[in-house]
Amino acid sequence: MIHRIYSLFFGILLLFATPIYALEVIEILGGKASEIPIAIVPFEGLENIGGQKAHQIISSDLNRTGLFRPLNTRGISNSPSSDININYTKWSSMDAQFIVVGKVESENPISGNIKITWSLIDIFKEKTVVSMRYIGKKSQYRAIAHKVSDNVYEHLTGSKGVFHTKIAYVKKVNNKKYSLNVADFDGFNSRPILNTTQPIISPRWSPDGEKIAYVSFEKKKPVIYIQNLRTGKRTLLANFKGNNSAPAWSPDSRKLAIVLTYNQNSQIYTINADGSGIKQLMRSNAINTEPSWAPNGEDIYFSSNRGGSPQIYKVNINDDEISRVTYEGKYNLSPSISYDGKLLIFLTNDQGKFKVAIQNLISNQVLKISEGPADESPIFAPNGHLVLFTYKDYGKTTKIGTVSINGLKRLPINVGSSIIQEPTWGPITN
Amino acid sequence: MEELQLKKSLLLLSLVALLGAGCSSTPLDGPGDPSAASNYYGTDAATAEALGLDELRGNTLLSQRSVFFDFNKYDIKPEYLDLIGAHAQYLNNHAPARMIIKGNADYRGSHEYNLSLGQKRSVAVKEALNALGVDDSQIETISYGEEYANQECQADACGQDRRADITYEVE
Repeated sequence: MIHRIYSLFFGILLLFATPIYALEVIEILGGKASEIPIAIVPFEGLENIGGQKAHQIISSDLNRTGLFRPLNTRGISNSPSSDININYTKWSSMDAQFIVVGKVESENPISGNIKITWSLIDIFKEKTVVSMRYIGKKSQYRAIAHKVSDNVYEHLTGSKGVFHTKIAYVKKVNNKKYSLNVADFDGFNSRPILNTTQPIISPRWSPDGEKIAYVSFEKKKPVIYIQNLRTGKRTLLANFKGNNSAPAWSPDSRKLAIVLTYNQNSQIYTINADGSGIKQLMRSNAINTEPSWAPNGEDIYFSSNRGGSPQIYKVNINDDEISRVTYEGKYNLSPSISYDGKLLIFLTNDQGKFKVAIQNLISNQVLKISEGPADESPIFAPNGHLVLFTYKDYGKTTKIGTVSINGLKRLPINVGSSIIQEPTWGPITN
Repeated sequence: MEELQLKKSLLLLSLVALLGAGCSSTPLDGPGDPSAASNYYGTDAATAEALGLDELRGNTLLSQRSVFFDFNKYDIKPEYLDLIGAHAQYLNNHAPARMIIKGNADYRGSHEYNLSLGQKRSVAVKEALNALGVDDSQIETISYGEEYANQECQADACGQDRRADITYEVE
């Protein structure tokens, strides 16, 4: 098992752009050892703002990725708050390979703005990797801490962090109230953008970050809306005879793949985001659904039972050429493709347990990264390093959580006690 | 007399349904589907008598409305053929009658795949009716997938959710 994680992981890491520390990252691969030990030292000064502490936010961010092992820094005396006079021997003896230090100060007593100065320090090389300063409102404190996490992540892995991104999900209360909500990636600052008495499924965030497409049953059958996040205004994208569902954005946010039935079984169509130019993609007597647009703009992954049981296939939108993608397991659904087109995640039925699986599309190696028994709706983070999915809490209530693509860290996202389902993840924005 | 009252109020109800349908199709910003609204709700001339409502309400096979399926399956089991036969005969005898078949699935698997599976189930019932001479213009197939299913059922109990429900527009 550890070997499988190692080799799948090795492949992924080789795909990274060349970061300053790429070599070190690759050298320490293998099971638990692949997690970089890092100490996020409590920040000096006004760190506690309304019960929030920067070092805890950063630590929790990095912990989620399965690539870092934040060390316990409680009770450490004479902690540094800058990269001056670092006791490298002491941190080295604690197994810290890197440390993050910083301080929080009042920048302007009139505006109430705060100033956060921080450094990432390499303990082995005894040098500072990066030092930065952020100034912002107190209300932006969590956002600033997430920005620090993004910078640490990018410096140590070569890939952009997703700690400053947003997610959306459907909340269901007593089978009577449904809402579509937007929140920070870790569940904080959630707010509803739609309330209705009928089910909402399949929200999908546009790659340009501006809109969310979703399926609503408000018209007593599924129809597709697109809602603008800035104005809150929504338009009806598809209300054809029969069902309208499963919207999937093209990489340029100008088109969507959707599923229509027209009194027959589910088939995939493409349509412009303004509702014009509807076109059927392929025809078959089998179910074709859950389209997911590959970043090359030409391939659409989808699930189909054309071979008997549901499996993942892909179709080229130019020539309708279809090829089968998943072979392991008898029941595979819900494809989602990483931003670089190299990894596929999907839902697999593993002897009655529904789990999230990841497939390297180059080697076709498959690894199950969640435990089940009733996991669903896997969707990639915009950097392809984390997966958002749903699971049943105590076997009963559906909740959302993240799992790292190496399968090492599965952690809940707490957004309340209701049923939380059908998540989607927004893009990385500046 | 009482019966006549009932028929009148049913007629009124179907008129209300017609008006409602007209309204709901206007504010579409999307492309819309011309056949959806006009074909489907085109029962202006239909009267309660022409629809044979008494027959529908009677204690016959026509009052049975659900066809059940196995997990991840949509083939119709032989025990439902009598039920489907009765509804086919009803539709053939009452040309203005309009049926809506609503497919469902249990909660296991993805919401979207279950929506497709529920659709396959409603289409399977439609095709069985087609085979008995019923025209497509009398039937609309839709699916609710797992959206109204019991989210906590275990194994066999989930069977209640794997079904297609027959409804008539006048009801």
